[in-house]
Amino acid sequence: MSQALTRYHALYESLMSRRRAERTLKGLDKVAAWTRMKLTTQGSSLRVLKREAEQIDALAPKVRGYSEAVLDEAIGRVRERFLLRTDDKETVREGMALAREVARRLTGEEAYTVQLVGALGLYRGRIVEMLTGEGKTLTGSIAAVMLAWKYRRVHVFTVNDYLAKRDAESREAIYTRCRLTVGAIQQEQSPDERATIYSRHIVYGTPKQITADYLRDQLRIRPLATAWAGRQMMARFGNAAGAGPIVPGLCVALVDEADAVLIDEGVVPLIIARSRREDDMAQVYLGAAEIARKLDEGPDFSVDRLRRKAELKSRGLHRARRMWAERPEAIWRADRRAEELVRQALVARCCYLRGRQYEIVDGQVVIVDEYTGRFLHDRSWEHGLHQAVEAKEGLEVTADRETLARLSFQRFFRSYPVLCGMTGTAADAMREMETVYRRPVLCVPTNRPIVRKKLPMRIFAEPESKIDAIVEEIERLHALERPVLAGTRSIEVSQLISERLTARGLEHRVLNALQDAEESELVEHAGAAGAITVATNMAGRGTDIRLDERARRAGGLAVILTEMHGAKRIDRQFIGRSGRQGDPGSSQIFAALDDDLLTQHAPDLRTVFKRPGLRGELRQTKAAAAAFRIAQRRSEARDRRNRAAVLRQDDWIDEHLPGS
Amino acid sequence: MAERPTFSPFWHRVRALKPRLRPHVQVTRQHYRGRRWHVAHDPTTNQFFRLNPIGHELVGLLDGKRTVEEVWTILLQRHGDDSPTQQEALQLIGQLYSSNLLSVDAPPETEQLLRRGRERRKKKAMGQAVGLMYFKIRLFNPDGIFAWLEPLFRPILNRVGFFVWLAVVLGAIVAILPHFDRLAASVDNTLAPANWGWLTVVFIVTKAIHEIGHGVILKRFGGQVPEFGVMLLVLFPAPYVDATASWALESKWKRIAVGSGGMIFELFVAAIAAMVWLSTEPGALIHQIAYNAMFIASISTILFNANPLMRFDGYYILSDLLEVPNLMQRAQNMIKHFFKRYAFGIENDQPPTTNAGERRILVTYGILALAYRVFLFISITLFVMGKMFALGLLLAIWTGAMWFVLPVGKFVHWLASHPSLLDKRVRAVTATMLMLAMGVVSLGMVPFPDWRKASGVVEPARRSGVFFASDGFIVEAFVSPGMRVGAGDAIATIDNPEIRVELATARAELARAEVRWRSALARSSPAADELAEAVTNLTERVAILENRIDRLTVRAPHAGVVAGADPSEFVGAWVQEGTAICEIVEDRGSRIVATLSQRENTWAIRHATGDLPVVASVRFLSDAGRSIEGNIVEVVESGQSRLAHASLGYAGGGTIATDPQDESGTMATSRQFELRIVPADGEPTGAPGERVRVRFTLPSRPLMAQWADRLHKLVQGRVTL
Repeated sequence: MSQALTRYHALYESLMSRRRAERTLKGLDKVAAWTRMKLTTQGSSLRVLKREAEQIDALAPKVRGYSEAVLDEAIGRVRERFLLRTDDKETVREGMALAREVARRLTGEEAYTVQLVGALGLYRGRIVEMLTGEGKTLTGSIAAVMLAWKYRRVHVFTVNDYLAKRDAESREAIYTRCRLTVGAIQQEQSPDERATIYSRHIVYGTPKQITADYLRDQLRIRPLATAWAGRQMMARFGNAAGAGPIVPGLCVALVDEADAVLIDEGVVPLIIARSRREDDMAQVYLGAAEIARKLDEGPDFSVDRLRRKAELKSRGLHRARRMWAERPEAIWRADRRAEELVRQALVARCCYLRGRQYEIVDGQVVIVDEYTGRFLHDRSWEHGLHQAVEAKEGLEVTADRETLARLSFQRFFRSYPVLCGMTGTAADAMREMETVYRRPVLCVPTNRPIVRKKLPMRIFAEPESKIDAIVEEIERLHALERPVLAGTRSIEVSQLISERLTARGLEHRVLNALQDAEESELVEHAGAAGAITVATNMAGRGTDIRLDERARRAGGLAVILTEMHGAKRIDRQFIGRSGRQGDPGSSQIFAALDDDLLTQHAPDLRTVFKRPGLRGELRQTKAAAAAFRIAQRRSEARDRRNRAAVLRQDDWIDEHLPGS
Repeated sequence: MAERPTFSPFWHRVRALKPRLRPHVQVTRQHYRGRRWHVAHDPTTNQFFRLNPIGHELVGLLDGKRTVEEVWTILLQRHGDDSPTQQEALQLIGQLYSSNLLSVDAPPETEQLLRRGRERRKKKAMGQAVGLMYFKIRLFNPDGIFAWLEPLFRPILNRVGFFVWLAVVLGAIVAILPHFDRLAASVDNTLAPANWGWLTVVFIVTKAIHEIGHGVILKRFGGQVPEFGVMLLVLFPAPYVDATASWALESKWKRIAVGSGGMIFELFVAAIAAMVWLSTEPGALIHQIAYNAMFIASISTILFNANPLMRFDGYYILSDLLEVPNLMQRAQNMIKHFFKRYAFGIENDQPPTTNAGERRILVTYGILALAYRVFLFISITLFVMGKMFALGLLLAIWTGAMWFVLPVGKFVHWLASHPSLLDKRVRAVTATMLMLAMGVVSLGMVPFPDWRKASGVVEPARRSGVFFASDGFIVEAFVSPGMRVGAGDAIATIDNPEIRVELATARAELARAEVRWRSALARSSPAADELAEAVTNLTERVAILENRIDRLTVRAPHAGVVAGADPSEFVGAWVQEGTAICEIVEDRGSRIVATLSQRENTWAIRHATGDLPVVASVRFLSDAGRSIEGNIVEVVESGQSRLAHASLGYAGGGTIATDPQDESGTMATSRQFELRIVPADGEPTGAPGERVRVRFTLPSRPLMAQWADRLHKLVQGRVTL
């Protein structure tokens, strides 16, 4: 009976959480909600939290003196108070002091006051900005303990499966000591295993895994949605064994790298799909690819590379019509659909490039995340685009997949009653965090002042001379025994730089789209004296680069950005790899006037600098650097608009269609 | 051509659904400009939805057994490239579903339904807040009443009834036309404060009849009337009914009939009232009430109900007549489209229509409606501010915010961030700036004629009363009012037999006394001196009496025009000495006194000091076609409350508020300010005491400066209160 009750409870909570997603507000409502949020979160402003952290700090000597038994007893008492919902400020203070002490005893790390401020911020449901190397893992685990005591269930989101597993395991002792259970969701687990893990207090996992589990649950329990009467629900749910939800309701989400998950990937939909049982479309896609190959850009069609759209001109349309008229498949008879197929094939040909948007692994097209340069293995583009790319590459065309359910991370995270997160760069996304998620941002100061040097941007006329300069700079720094980390936007460029380094006989490591575990290990070693690491921007996120003694003396980690990224946040994120905890370090951006950022977002400004015959490095970089910043700002604005549009569309669908 | 991708990423949300129209939803076919449309109407919620033929086909195919996917495929086979894309089908289904017109086999989403209800209420409240000038208060559901009323009216709601109505209305117009002068003259009485109470009562009754008209005719055609309430039209209450059910009527003539039902009933009331007014005596209460009814039913009907530029009956009638549904909204969109297309250069903006005829209508209507809206806003605001300053100011600020600040804010936001402007933003901003600059130049720099209005009265140069100099019966009158007389001309003669007898007696006594005096003188009698004195006395007395006889003829003291009472009316009557007989008014060199309120005096003072040339043109109320030019000769700066003439005040039928306690009717509630005007070419100014309207033409100035002046004038002296 008690097990049935638990299952019933899980189902109930699961059903409840699907109703909780808040809607985006507009106009005055938006302003009002924002004001309300600002007013109600005054109690967790940096000033207040700092004072509170100092009070907790004051408890440290006393708690340090506890014997193991006394500590256990104190933990039990505090936890009980949380369970009875009699958690006043004092309980919170005491709880946090205990959690800190447990962590100190078990891992030897004692949280700094600023980390306590961060943990308090998380506990109060804020998005906390803590720079890289400030000990987010420890902060997160202290907060997770507090949140789990208070709300029973906490989902901790990490960047990848490896980190989920690593963090869950390394922190297990702390949680156990605090009378909490912990587990990590991994790709290969079976549903039963997952259900067991989800029943624990603290669950580590990637957004993708947890969202997918939640979405599958929702698909399954949707028919039960109206069976509100408990008995009926139990009856239905008892008959179908295992039909219950795997994720027992959404309680608290603690998101690591919150800006990447909530903002950059926020609008990426998670799709549960099945292959369409349809006539074979492979020949159709191959035919479209062939037609697209024969058309010429300019006279036949024009391409908008920014929006990824192709438009057939009348000549091109005429030629394409003649070509598709000869093809046997029935779909070519419908003009509009045929034109759409050709346009799509053109987009696949011109806007989707191997090494940038996708890579071919084992004869399959694998999407590359344009933000992180990471492989997105199980993802595919929708509505034939994936097939069009496959056809273009001459690979086997997979079957078009049919969507069963989709959910964007943005909507998923908004379903959590309590949402908090940590990131190195939240301040740049503050407005969006505040309007979309209604989560205020808390910027926690660093424990030690930053001494990292920011070197002026270097700008080149064409990419070739830029790469030359980068390689030279790497060589120079290497000679000084400084570790170098070069960040690229695409796999293509990282390979190019790698080739050049090899040609010069410089030993280096390339990091892109490797296995998560290996990646983190490599990044950890990137701080050794004289190490050269070439990585896509996001590689090894979540792992600290620790300097060795020689490297520190040589001047610390030198970060080179081989291109300015589309969002300032990403640049900052990467630069933040060096100079952790007051370490020395430097950062420098290399850019070329032919970089995508400028050609796509500020072609007007580019013409000002790009004079014919201009070669090599620009001497006057101030104005050009400003142009790059403007382009970056435009790119950010465009992404923001796109996200807002997706949000609006989601809301419309939600508002106007049955089911959710 | 706009891109229409075949597939939608959200298709899975509807693909497997088996929706169908809710059973009680009625679909009627309507034609607009030769194109077929289908209107789905849910009588229980009064929701409407207009479907094009393919949309209708799609909805028709959704029978609760086929899935959306199946229906979409059927349409694809039937119509090929014309069939809706997934996105379009999804949108249509979504809209129908959220309008509660579509039922779905899926379990009902309680949360969604509740939220939708909440949103709808919120939207309604928002609409109310925006349109504070027409605030609606819902009272009850009158459908039962109309269901009861309709059979009573049914026998006359037909062709015969219409012709009877036409006959009555035309008859009333024909009957009343000859009395137009009297009709026009009574307007002043109607608007006088004393009549406001009756006016309000009659207004509410007439408007109630108006609403009954809508309701009964709609009921006759089978529609429902779900709502009755009171609308506060600029804070003035007027009843309303919800007759939107008429939108579902198939024939446009029926829709027009429902739309004009109110006016039909109201005009009938006006016609009856006209007959009553004609057949009753002035002064009777019923006479005044009939006039009120006539006044309201005709004037308000023409000004408001029939006016297609406001969202009243006339708008819907026009919309149906032109066969352009949703006229206002689409006209606005059309104007916006023109701006987007030609000023901002957004090439792929979709116009609300591609039909040339419809486009012309939309553009014309859009411009007119916009201009009217601005005009209405300004005039209503000024009107209300004039009456109740604080309230008017609040209303103006609120409405201004809602009608202007909000749209401007939205526009700026759109300009700054809308994706459709992605490549055109520079051009759009430049174009906006240019238009703004043009506006500023034309309003702030180009001088426009500036004039001020005032009411005044003709004041003569000299005016004397003519009085009877002695008692007596009037035997003859030589003049009548308006007659021109010279100095010393006889005006009337009276006769006093008593004086004549006295004179005869006195003369006889004098003769006798003379005789006696002469004989005494001859006799050298000592009584001679005494008698001489008596003769002198008597001679004097005779002279006095003769003078009195002489004064029995009253003469004009100076040249002028006879005014005041008609002396001939006194003939045969007995008058006492000192009774006024008439007035002689010198009309040559008469002046006009115009009264301005204290707040308007700035320009007048500047004129008085010679800084500002001002020309006054005077129009006479008695003779609308006549106007003369004049110069201001004197500005009386000391503000006085006493009016130059009672006819300027409310009590005398004028335009200036007077103190109701004051019997003379010349005590104004606020301090007034006098200007004396002399006709430029010495023309006669008309009868003294006549009311005139004076228009002062000031030097041309930019409109912005003029408006600032006016606003200043309106606020001045009020804010400190």
